[in-house]
Formats: sequence, structure tokens, C-alpha cells
Amino acid sequence: MMGATDLVLVSGKGGTGKSAVTAALAIERALRGQTVLAIDLGTGLGLGTHLRTSSLTYEPTQVRTGVWAMTMVRSAALDEYLKTQLHVPGGAPSRTLAGALSVLVDTAPGVREIISIGKPIFETWKEKWDAVIVDTPSLGQFQSYLRAPSTIAALVPTGRVKRQAGSLTATLSDSSITQVVLVSNPAELPVIETVEAIETITSERLCPTPIVVMNRIVAKSGITEGHVKNLVDGPLREAAVHQRSVESLQHHWMAQIDIDVSLPYLMGVSTPGEVAVQLAAAMRAG
Amino acid sequence: MTRTVVVTGAGGVGKTTLAAAIGVILARSGLRTLVLTIDPAKRLADALSAGELGDEPQLVLSEPNLYAAMLDVAASWEGIIHRYADPEVADRLLVNPYFRAIADRFPAAQSYAAGERMAEYIESGRYGAIVIDTPPSSGGMDFFLAPASTGELVSGKLLRWLTGSRLPGRSVLFQFTAKPMLRLADGVLGGPMLSDVADFLLDLRTIYDRLAVRSKAIERHLRAADTIIVTTADPTPIYETTRFFEELAGIKITPEAILFNRMLPESWIEEADRRASATDSSDPTAAVLTNNLVAWSAEARRQIEAARELSARYRLPVHEIGWRVPPPSTLDELASLLSAVDVSNGFANIPTSQQ
Repeated sequence: MMGATDLVLVSGKGGTGKSAVTAALAIERALRGQTVLAIDLGTGLGLGTHLRTSSLTYEPTQVRTGVWAMTMVRSAALDEYLKTQLHVPGGAPSRTLAGALSVLVDTAPGVREIISIGKPIFETWKEKWDAVIVDTPSLGQFQSYLRAPSTIAALVPTGRVKRQAGSLTATLSDSSITQVVLVSNPAELPVIETVEAIETITSERLCPTPIVVMNRIVAKSGITEGHVKNLVDGPLREAAVHQRSVESLQHHWMAQIDIDVSLPYLMGVSTPGEVAVQLAAAMRAG
Repeated sequence: MTRTVVVTGAGGVGKTTLAAAIGVILARSGLRTLVLTIDPAKRLADALSAGELGDEPQLVLSEPNLYAAMLDVAASWEGIIHRYADPEVADRLLVNPYFRAIADRFPAAQSYAAGERMAEYIESGRYGAIVIDTPPSSGGMDFFLAPASTGELVSGKLLRWLTGSRLPGRSVLFQFTAKPMLRLADGVLGGPMLSDVADFLLDLRTIYDRLAVRSKAIERHLRAADTIIVTTADPTPIYETTRFFEELAGIKITPEAILFNRMLPESWIEEADRRASATDSSDPTAAVLTNNLVAWSAEARRQIEAARELSARYRLPVHEIGWRVPPPSTLDELASLLSAVDVSNGFANIPTSQQ
């Protein structure tokens, strides 16, 4: 690889296809010859199935040509954070400290998030990958991830954690490094929640302006009202009416938001791995 | 005895809509019914409420037996603290910066609050039926696990770790065991963060016993409820559904039925196969219409295969709920979603002749 690493953070309302889009973004870059690391910050299941692997670990493993993948394991991430970022020495004192900090991770605002969002950023700093692509949890949790460094900075007046939080904020807000992708669907709740998230993220200046990926768009069929009117009752008519209703509803919701990337509704595709590959192909074509 | 129905499933499958539909049907069967929703779409909130849907249950004006409420997590947690903490501790907790952060962010906090509300409404005896729409974290599974995991948080991992199993007095904690460690930690962290947290957990620890008893009661209510899983044919919800069955079995809950949402008619498949070979390809209109039917029938086929597989694997009713575009926005439209389901009788199928 050459040059700096892109950090791509993917979020969106649950059920919009966030993990599938994350996997597709990784596959699409790999098809262009890049080496990418895909990170699951959620349950570790969604992204894995879309990359056709059953179990992701904290240690990145290669899942296909050019694509490496890993999942967040908080205890391992905490350990790494202490050693590489806070330079806490090994041995017994560090175990004591690690014990205290593991409780902090579960309790204090911002700490859990900073450990989670820290890992992709450290991987970005290594300049070992062309891109680090991150499947983050739901929109609400994603925003608390973005806020974590400043939450921490407000809670602790001085010290190594505070200095380190400043470096994280600098990377997150640098538009030459960080790209935020919000996945949405052409339906009421996904569109409304995406618009609200963009407003919050932009007004709080948490990161560069998000890119909206509209997933599951049903392709225009060319069926007109005239076509439907002349049809007798039955499946042909029902499917035509259904298509027109879906087109019109999707059109209504897509008009409420600025869309950067459009992805198709994949009819009849039933495996997560196939969904990701086809979405990657659609990104390449688009 | 209050009939309780818990509606769960992955994000975006239509849980809130179907919970509302079940509520309408139970209300129309004569039960005074409360639907407790989490985050409804505007069209649903409008259908369920004349004004703003809020924390306090209100009568749905057009439906004499139906009440609706929306969970307010922060308000629920304040209620929980006031109920279970001594007044002095409650006052301290409610102004502690960590308390609000946890109530807002701890993934199980929203789920625990929903469980607590459910238990309150069941025990109030005011309702003949309560329908709960589960919070979206972990696709709703948190709702079932929250009573146990909240106990875990409150039991004070930090305190156990600092002092062993004995609950220490505040002075003991800060004078002896913890001091050197706290100094060390604060040196790295750069502030009194860890001692603030310990202080907070000590207060939280005082309500642990009462909260633990309460958690057991919530778990009993959950086991007595009908659990309904909602899914669609998309790979993620299908995968989540299999996970629900595994995890629910772990806490001895067997779902009553699966509602397979947004199904297309099976009749499209056969017709598409027939027309694909018989349509005159020189007629552009016929080609457009046939191609459309063929495309959607691929979707219908995928849905039916997935629904049959679930039904065979779990041996419980899998109800196919039609795909409505636009989605239902009136109480009648909601009720009609479940016209083939005997909601009042264990979510069995209604024989076709009676529909």
C-alpha cells in the first residue's frame, strides 16, 4: 500500500443493511486492488456473515483477496489501549490498573466508546491498510462514539487520557482521513432518523459531513397507470400495482434527503455473502 | 390475570406496527389493552394518539378499550431510583453525572426500564392485556436479558474487585484498600475520575438487593408472557431469529409464534413461471409487465422458502403477513394485518372458512 489510510465509519438505523454495505465497501475497494481492514464494532455477527466467515476475532484474519476482518473484543482493546496508547508498563501494577479501568470501561461515560472507536483509529495511524472500514452500532450509539473524546476531555482535567483523546478528535474531524457513511432505506423511519443524525453530527461538528448511501431502492419498471388499468385481476396486475405503490412510496421518502450513493433492492437474493458481493458490483457500476 | 404479549425481532422488520396491530385486536376482543411502544413511526403514533404519545398511558380516542404509551427511559429510571433508593441516596444519585450517562447509554438500561414499566402495568391490575414492543438494542434480546445484566452492573464489579464480597463502608473503601490504587489510576487518567465512579457505584450498590428482587419479578412476568418473534425474509432478520430461539431457550422462554412480515402472494410464483415461457416478447407492454412479475416472484419464492424453513425448524405457527404499501396507518388497517391469526387464542391459525 501507499500513502495515508482512509478511515470509513459506517452507521445507520437498524435493519437498513449497514453490515451488508460495510462488507460491500470493503469488497469494492479490494476489487480495485486495495488492501482493507473491515472492523465490526457491534455484535461481531452481522459483518462476518456478509463476508462469508462464521467467527471474526480481535486479531485480523484474511477473508478474501485484499480484505481482512476483525471484531471488537473490549478486554483485548483495553489491553492494547493501555500498552500502546497510555504506555502503562506491564506486570502487576498494570494488572491492578487494568482491573480498575475495565470497570471504568463499563461505567464512566465516554470510556467504553473511546476504547471502541480508538481501535480503528490506531489501525488508521499504522498506515498499514489502504482503508479501515468500520461497521458501527446504531445511529444513537454511533453519535456517542463520535462524542467520546470530548466527553472524556470534559471529565478529566489533565493526563495521558486527555492528551490521547485530543489526537482521536483530530483524526475523526480530518476530512482528508475520515469519511462517515450513513446507510438508509427509502422508508419513513430510516429517512427521518438519518436526516436527524446528519443535523446533529453537522451542528456538533463531530466529523466531516456524512455521505448518504440509500440502500434497497426498487428499480423503476416503466409500468404506467394505463398499463394497470387494462389488466384483469390476477398476479400480473397485483405485481404491477405493488411495483407502482413501492415506486411511489420510495420516491416520496427519497425526496426528503440528499442521496450520494444509490443501491438496489436485491430481489430473491437470500444469502448475506451474495448480498454483499452484489452490492459491491452495484457500487462499481454506479 | 393480565394477558401479556412481548413482540420482539430484529430492527426494521415491523415490530412496532405488529405490536400495535395485536393491541387493536385484543382491545376489540373486549380486553382493556395497553400498547407500550418504544419509538413509533409518525403514522403509527398518529394512529394511536390524538396528541403527543407520551410516558403516561392515554386512551386511543377512536378505540374504547385501547390505551397507548411510549417509553421515556430517563423518566423511568428516575422512578426506579426513587422507588428503590433511600431518599438521601436517591437525591445524590439523580444529580451524579455518571447516573444520567448510564441511564442514557448503558445498552441494557432502556431494556430494563421497559421491563420495569411492563411489571408495573401488569401489577397495577388496570389492564386485561398489555402488548410490549421491545427496544431495538441487540434486536430486542436485551429486553429479556436486562433484568439479569442490570443486577450485574449494580452489584458493583468494582466494589467486589476492590474489597472482596463484603459490602464496604464508604470510609473503609477510601482509607485502606483503594487509596493507593486510586492514586495510581488517577495519575494515568488525570483526575478524580475513578474515585467519582467508585462513589457513584457505592450509592448504586445500596439499591442492589431491592433491584435484584425486582429483577426476579420482571423475569417471572417475562416467562408468563406470550413471546412473538417478527421477521422478514432478509438474511439479517432470519439470522437474528435463529439467535433469538437459542438465547430465549437459555432463559426458558419458548416463543408462541413467528410473524413473517411483508410477504408477497405465493400465487405470483406459479403465474410468473407460466408467463416467462409463454409471453410474446415482441409486445413491449407485455414484456414490461411479465418482467415485473418475474422479478417480484423471485422475491416471493425467497420469502416462502425462508418461512417454510423456519416453520419446519421450530414447529410453531409461522404467520405470513402481507406486504402493505403504503404501510397501515389506521386502526382498521392494523387489525386487518392479522385477520388470519387467532390472537386471542394462542396465536393459532384461523381456518380459512372463518376469515
